[in-house]
Amino acid sequence: MIVFTLNGLEVQIPEGYTILEACKFYGIEIPTLCYDEGLSPYGGCRLCLVEIGEEGQTKLVSSCTYPLEQELKVRTNTKRVINARKMMIELLLSVCPSSKTIQDLASKYNVRKIRFPVRNDDCILCGLCVRMCKEQMQSGAIGFVKRGYKKKITTPFNIKSEVCRLCGGCIYICPACQLRCQGPAASTDVCNACLSLEPTCIETHDDYQCWMGTTGDCGTCEGRPDQIKKKK
Amino acid sequence: MTTFLQLAVKEHINEEVRLKQYRTHLLVCAGTGCVAAGSFEIKKVLEKEIAKHKLQNEVAVIATGCNGFCERGPIVVVQPDGIFYQKLSAEDIPFLVKEHFLKGRPVQKLMYIPPEEEKPIPKLMDIGFFKHQRLIVLKNRGRIDPENIEEYIAFNGYQALEKALSKMRSEEILSEIKNSQLRGRGGAGFPTGLKWELCRKASGNGKYVVCNADEGDPGAFMDRSILEADPHAVIEGMTIGARAIGAGYGYIYIRTEYPLALKRLKIAIRQAKEYGLLGKNILGTGLDFSVELVQGAGAFVSGEETSLLAAIEGKVGVPKQRPPYPVQKGLFNKPTNINNVETWANIPQIILKGAKWFAEMGTEGSKGTKIFSLVGKINNTGLVEVPMGITLKDIIYEIGGGIPKHRSFKAVQTGGPSGGCIPKKLLDLPIDYETLKKAGSMMGSGGMIVMDEDTCIVDVAKYFMNFLRDESCGKCLSCREGTQRMWEILNKITKGQGTMQDIELLEELAIATRDASMCGLGQSAGNPVLSTLRYFRDEYIAHIKYKKCSAAVCKEIISSPCQHTCPIDTEAPQYIAYIARGEFKKAYEIILKDNPLLGVCSLVCHHPCETKCRAGQGGDPISIRALKRFAVEYGNGKSTGRKKKTPTGEKVAIIGSGPSGLTAAHSLTEMGYAPTIFEAKPVAGGMLVLGIPEYRLPRQILNEDIRRIIDAGVEIKTNQQLGRDFTTNDLFERGYKAIYLAFGAHHSIRLAIPNEDAQGVIPAMQLLTDFHLGKKIKLGKVVAIVGGGNSAVDAARTANRLPEVEKVIIVYRRTRTEMPAYEEEVNAALKEGIDIKFLTTPTNVTTKDKKVTGIECINMELGSVDESGRRRPIPIKGSEFQLRIDTLVQAISEQPDISCLGEDYEFNVSGWNTVVVDNTTLATNVNGVFAGGDVIRGPSTVIQAMADGKKVAQSIDRYIKGKPIEFTYTVTRPSIYVEPVKLKVEEVFDTQRQEAKQLSVANRNKNFKGVDLGLDKKSAIREAKRCLRCDFEVKELDDKKEKK
Repeated sequence: MIVFTLNGLEVQIPEGYTILEACKFYGIEIPTLCYDEGLSPYGGCRLCLVEIGEEGQTKLVSSCTYPLEQELKVRTNTKRVINARKMMIELLLSVCPSSKTIQDLASKYNVRKIRFPVRNDDCILCGLCVRMCKEQMQSGAIGFVKRGYKKKITTPFNIKSEVCRLCGGCIYICPACQLRCQGPAASTDVCNACLSLEPTCIETHDDYQCWMGTTGDCGTCEGRPDQIKKKK
Repeated sequence: MTTFLQLAVKEHINEEVRLKQYRTHLLVCAGTGCVAAGSFEIKKVLEKEIAKHKLQNEVAVIATGCNGFCERGPIVVVQPDGIFYQKLSAEDIPFLVKEHFLKGRPVQKLMYIPPEEEKPIPKLMDIGFFKHQRLIVLKNRGRIDPENIEEYIAFNGYQALEKALSKMRSEEILSEIKNSQLRGRGGAGFPTGLKWELCRKASGNGKYVVCNADEGDPGAFMDRSILEADPHAVIEGMTIGARAIGAGYGYIYIRTEYPLALKRLKIAIRQAKEYGLLGKNILGTGLDFSVELVQGAGAFVSGEETSLLAAIEGKVGVPKQRPPYPVQKGLFNKPTNINNVETWANIPQIILKGAKWFAEMGTEGSKGTKIFSLVGKINNTGLVEVPMGITLKDIIYEIGGGIPKHRSFKAVQTGGPSGGCIPKKLLDLPIDYETLKKAGSMMGSGGMIVMDEDTCIVDVAKYFMNFLRDESCGKCLSCREGTQRMWEILNKITKGQGTMQDIELLEELAIATRDASMCGLGQSAGNPVLSTLRYFRDEYIAHIKYKKCSAAVCKEIISSPCQHTCPIDTEAPQYIAYIARGEFKKAYEIILKDNPLLGVCSLVCHHPCETKCRAGQGGDPISIRALKRFAVEYGNGKSTGRKKKTPTGEKVAIIGSGPSGLTAAHSLTEMGYAPTIFEAKPVAGGMLVLGIPEYRLPRQILNEDIRRIIDAGVEIKTNQQLGRDFTTNDLFERGYKAIYLAFGAHHSIRLAIPNEDAQGVIPAMQLLTDFHLGKKIKLGKVVAIVGGGNSAVDAARTANRLPEVEKVIIVYRRTRTEMPAYEEEVNAALKEGIDIKFLTTPTNVTTKDKKVTGIECINMELGSVDESGRRRPIPIKGSEFQLRIDTLVQAISEQPDISCLGEDYEFNVSGWNTVVVDNTTLATNVNGVFAGGDVIRGPSTVIQAMADGKKVAQSIDRYIKGKPIEFTYTVTRPSIYVEPVKLKVEEVFDTQRQEAKQLSVANRNKNFKGVDLGLDKKSAIREAKRCLRCDFEVKELDDKKEKK
């Protein structure tokens, strides 16, 4: 058993748990976007940050990837954590302003304004689809290409993959691929106008597999330069 | 079985024997810098020439690793005498070989001459760059052939390995390293011994040691040079480490971009294997250890240890969560010890000489030496190894030789893109891991980029952020988007489109990026922004609020450096273009638009525009002032009679008719006001007429400028002195709505030495003023002037022209480099036969009958650099000497004479007697009273005084209209784009600067004729055609924006 301090309370958890799993076990809510129980942890969205360590020497780590150690001190809701998390949400919003999932997060954390120029990327590079494809579907049709600000997810050589079975797992798990918010406010505002969760692409267009086939029916990728070419 | 000892005996090579075989060794630097400069070619020619003279059995030519002094490549060091030849070309070699190696006469002209000096320094060890270094890791640099293991062995190579394997148990090796307190040289400074111990204790077989040679910082080449100069040291260190840790296999992860290092490593590994120093049963001690090279494909993030391991495993180089740390679960899930090249290269020395020896060097927390690559705006670019704890000042000034072109030092970036900027005020910082961290930077691998005043700090931050956004692996949102967004904001600021909120946002984002990212790259990605904001926030604000880039770098703000740098926004590129087109009248009008004193400026302006001129970065700057002189002379059409305007607006009083008062008055008339200038002296012009001698500024040119200003509707009342004839309150009562104090700084400061009140001591300003007002002044035969500013040189050159004066001496306490007077003035003074005693200061005035008979002086030497970036003069004891003189002139500096403000003035005044004003509005603390020029700055420049005058006119306008005094600032743009002339091919290549003709020295004797004779038509047009027209680059950008 690992004994550690969670928000000031000494608690126990069996060995091999990550901080996130332990927090879930103890009912402490930590927001995540790139985490899924069925997939290997990735640590890319930086929302599940927690503060660890002794006072004066603390640091922030992603709880989904951090294995619990004996006597570790974990704080999940410090000012530092919240500030960093708010900035992450603002950054997410600035690249995917119309995602319902992200808007809900913003609403919860009182992020009201996007101070960056908005890009409609419709992808937050959380890598859930990549891991879904590889780990659950045993396919590996998609992956990351390039790095830094040029990083994106696509098939090898940007052409339709031969190992893709059009299962739609990638779309199913995507947290950003939502129908666009139709709210009335300016694009830099977080309008929070959508009261109900819009159905995901897969629910609306379950036959089309737009990610892999680019039928264009849902309209989200229309005219985009990185649109995947149909294999001739 | 071959033991190491047997091997050494068998080969029987040691330094003595090896060097005896040849009379002379020529060590040709074959490090990357010198190779790029052509050292392989030098080596070939050397060998050929030596063979030609049949010296091949006496003189050996050896290609070594990087010598360090890359600035001076290609380099050849002659041993055993230690003579240092630099900047060689293939043409120099035949002469060199014949002279030095055949006739035994070292060639002076190929030796190193320090900047500012004339005498060459023949020996390597006497050169400042080498003298202050301490070589441990780099001890073999420039000394052995890195491709020959025997040379390494000859200099105690592999002895540490032998000692470690045959005489030490692995625990002993470990404790030796721990006791040495060596810390990782890759950047973070983790204790090496502790890391080894953790790895040794980790459970599991098949441990690995890894050498991180993925050095990727811009401007860093430490690891590269070690591998190129001494690859065996790294292999030896790794083998010792493997023994201590219990590893059987090692990897060196090296960038493919380092072909020479790679080649030499490959050779070294092959040779070590041949000699039984790698492989199975090393030296018969039962240790099996092999090393494999892995080439990285150019990803900065692969220098991060978890990414590096992923890359060795054949995966994408992306960081992983630590823990588990590599020492627990590293390469192929086995315990793995990763150290940087420099750390590994330290190991053999520590084993050989002991932990105690090593721990004696450096500071409390950081032991040993550190290698830095010194690059950027520094005289001696190169690779230096210094003990920890050395100050930045020592590295930059003693080893680095200071900043080129007399520019002033601004900051140094340590730790590469993830490090931070360290400003001038921290030059005394002793360098170690902790102090650098505290200063907001980091040690990093040891890149040191020096920046001078021509480096824009926002632009630097943008550059590093651009690097980081490109090199971020993109896994963490915080790093991927954080660096991208920071870059976007910085880019916006450098375009002059930033807002004050952007600074806040930048700071917030930088902190979030640092906090939220997984690996070292992201965690330090905020540093360039945070450290520059910490020390140079003013510069960010200048870009955002005032649209000013003082370094004249951010092109979308500055348009052209000359126009942006000019305090009164003169459109230099446009009038230069008109001159090139032959339209001189238009050129004149462009100048006149912004400058009512254009005649004056065309002769005496200190032309900051030329200092920043882009043509001057690689060659000579355009003679902008001479071109202005030309335009004024040729473009000013015939006067069509005077038409004096009578202004009708509100009355404004201006105290002082110097450049600031005249400009303010002129600007006010343009706004419809009726300004009156009150001048204490009988003539108008202030310092222009009282201080600047006629040979610099002929009075007819000055009077023409003043006449133009009077014609614009300005009234000038002479012999009206503030304090004597009226007070500021009187002026308000007489109906003046606002007052501008611009009475200059005419009071010379005393020297503060004994007997200064003796007869024959005269303040420089009094001398000049009296002379220019036609009063009689009495000077002796020998006149000494103390000081190094423009008033000192003006006084000296004036005195020199007087018939009764036979000899003029200027006494200045620093050297010519530090002299604040304009270079052209100092040159002219020297030409005219004035004796300048540098590094001399007077201590006493000797008198007889209360008359000056001489001064006692003492010689000075330059000590360490002070806060102004100049070396502080220190008296040399026992160097006192007597100077026989008849007149002593005090000219060290001037202050405003504030006695005119009355005894109980209500103005805020500084300790230097300058009036304190609000910097943006020039308003004093008294309502309705403004001040500018030398009154607020102390002795400054004509153009600065004029700029204050222009600014104050706007302030007064707003004040009188009852509007809040605030301004909107815009980016610099010309009012019109003048099409450039088409150049012929030979004109494109004509880069010769045309200087204004000067009156010959003989014709200047004892008269006050103007010295500057200007350019003739042909050379003016030729000079104007050299202009690079920087403004067009921005025009293209603007046009593109408009199209969008």
